[in-house]
Amino acid sequence: MAQTTDEQLIDDLGLRRERRWSLYDHPNIIRTASVLVFLAVWEFYGRRTDPLLFTYPTAIIAAFVKLLVSGELIRQLLVSVSALAAGFALSLFLGVTLGLVMGRSRVAEALFEPHINALYATPQVALTPLLMMWLGLGFSVKVAVIFLFAFFPVLINTASGAKNVSASMIEVGRAYLASRGQIMFKVVLPAALPFIMAGVRIAVGRAVVGMIIAELFTAITGLGAMLSLYGNIFETAKMFVVIIVLAVLGVTLIHAAQTLERKMAQWKETERAVG
Amino acid sequence: MAVNTIEQQALLELAPTRERPFQLTDHLSAVRAASVVVVALLWEVFGRQVNPLFLSYPSAIARAFVNLLATGELLRQAIGSLQVFAIGLSAALVLGILIGLLMGRYRLAEYLLDPYVYAFDATPRVALIPLLLLWFGLGASSKIAIVFLSGLFPVLMNTFSGVRTVSAHLVDIGRAYGAGEGKIFTQIIVPAALPFIMTGVRLAVGRALIGIITAEMFTAVTGMGALLVRYSSALATDKFFVPVIFLALLGVGLSNGVERLQKRLAPWKETESAR
Repeated sequence: MAQTTDEQLIDDLGLRRERRWSLYDHPNIIRTASVLVFLAVWEFYGRRTDPLLFTYPTAIIAAFVKLLVSGELIRQLLVSVSALAAGFALSLFLGVTLGLVMGRSRVAEALFEPHINALYATPQVALTPLLMMWLGLGFSVKVAVIFLFAFFPVLINTASGAKNVSASMIEVGRAYLASRGQIMFKVVLPAALPFIMAGVRIAVGRAVVGMIIAELFTAITGLGAMLSLYGNIFETAKMFVVIIVLAVLGVTLIHAAQTLERKMAQWKETERAVG
Repeated sequence: MAVNTIEQQALLELAPTRERPFQLTDHLSAVRAASVVVVALLWEVFGRQVNPLFLSYPSAIARAFVNLLATGELLRQAIGSLQVFAIGLSAALVLGILIGLLMGRYRLAEYLLDPYVYAFDATPRVALIPLLLLWFGLGASSKIAIVFLSGLFPVLMNTFSGVRTVSAHLVDIGRAYGAGEGKIFTQIIVPAALPFIMTGVRLAVGRALIGIITAEMFTAVTGMGALLVRYSSALATDKFFVPVIFLALLGVGLSNGVERLQKRLAPWKETESAR
């Protein structure tokens, strides 16, 4: 109510001033202009360079259509995504399970923590050659690399979520004679869910990176293999297609994880705002 | 006080044996140590039974470590890697902070550049490695480019959001006291955004380390990443673990160093956007 009276007061006193039209109020005009100019310059100069090394937007679009029509792009995308799904599901399952155990039992935490910390500190890329030595160049090595990349964020976030469950909630559960399993699945897990989802969001991005790295190294199937193949035969326009597809895949998955996080972990936000 | 003495007397007379039963939770550091020792022992025992081409064991790794240190191979390659790392990372920090400051302070710069920044930030950097190798060859320049790109965006994004959070009051007061644009930057905006910038630096160091390892694994000519590939293709598993351990220690050392620097430079603000 106070606001409307303020507004009325301004009107009554004849103080209302029209804001001058400013470009800053329309940032999308600036953005569009920037992108259009950039694309035009790229197209113009890109046509003059050696097509083996560089390319230009229309050539990328042509390459995209060609790869889409031939079905190559979709086929390799499916291969990549299935490895991603398998590796991610594995890291989600094991990460949440071990995380809950480590978060609830201090003995389990002490048992696993040194090894987890050591593995987590190791740059995961460095372990890729070893995994290739053990698992070969097929599907399983991709799953293993993706697992390794995505596992730790899920595990660490789940453990800290389970550790932070308020003791009074567990006490209430115990007072109502909940079994250990019930406390775990009906009290601890839901309470830790916001943390788990934050871990999932980080893990999704890392899983995509792991997938690309594994496929670049094995270089047989999948989007990463396409990338390395086109690099070797100097098909720069096709490389750009794959890079753009990978970027879109990453953004879509992270966005989906964020949406899921907001949906599944709604109550935490309000609880935190109070606390 | 009288009550106290009575209580104490009562306690002495009753002499309740307050011996706690043995509980694992009271000896967590012992559990931790035991876990490490048992795993190391199991690894040593089983590692000796397995074909040494596939799995090594701790004492062989320790011997390989001493060997590689004595021949100077490890240090030579490490210094090569670190030089490239330092050049690429410092370029990323300087440019990232500069662009971030500009984008945070001037809306025109923000709207002109943010389409590219967001697009690049969304693209998994590893996907760009084959393209960069195509453009820059297998030498130091492509590695520097990869390290640069890996480190640039965390610094840029964090600096940008740091500058955006600087309170307009601070800037207004500075202006009221006649500070020029340069002074506003160096004495108000940079100090206020410093905690964010340092968070970006810490993330960038980690990403750049992964960038250099991945780049060297692909070029496979010099550096720690090349050692990893060389030893794994030669099936010298004991030697393979040496650079892995070295890199893990390097990563932990670097991130601890930056964290200490962060506490020193920006002790007044603990909040950070964990991205």
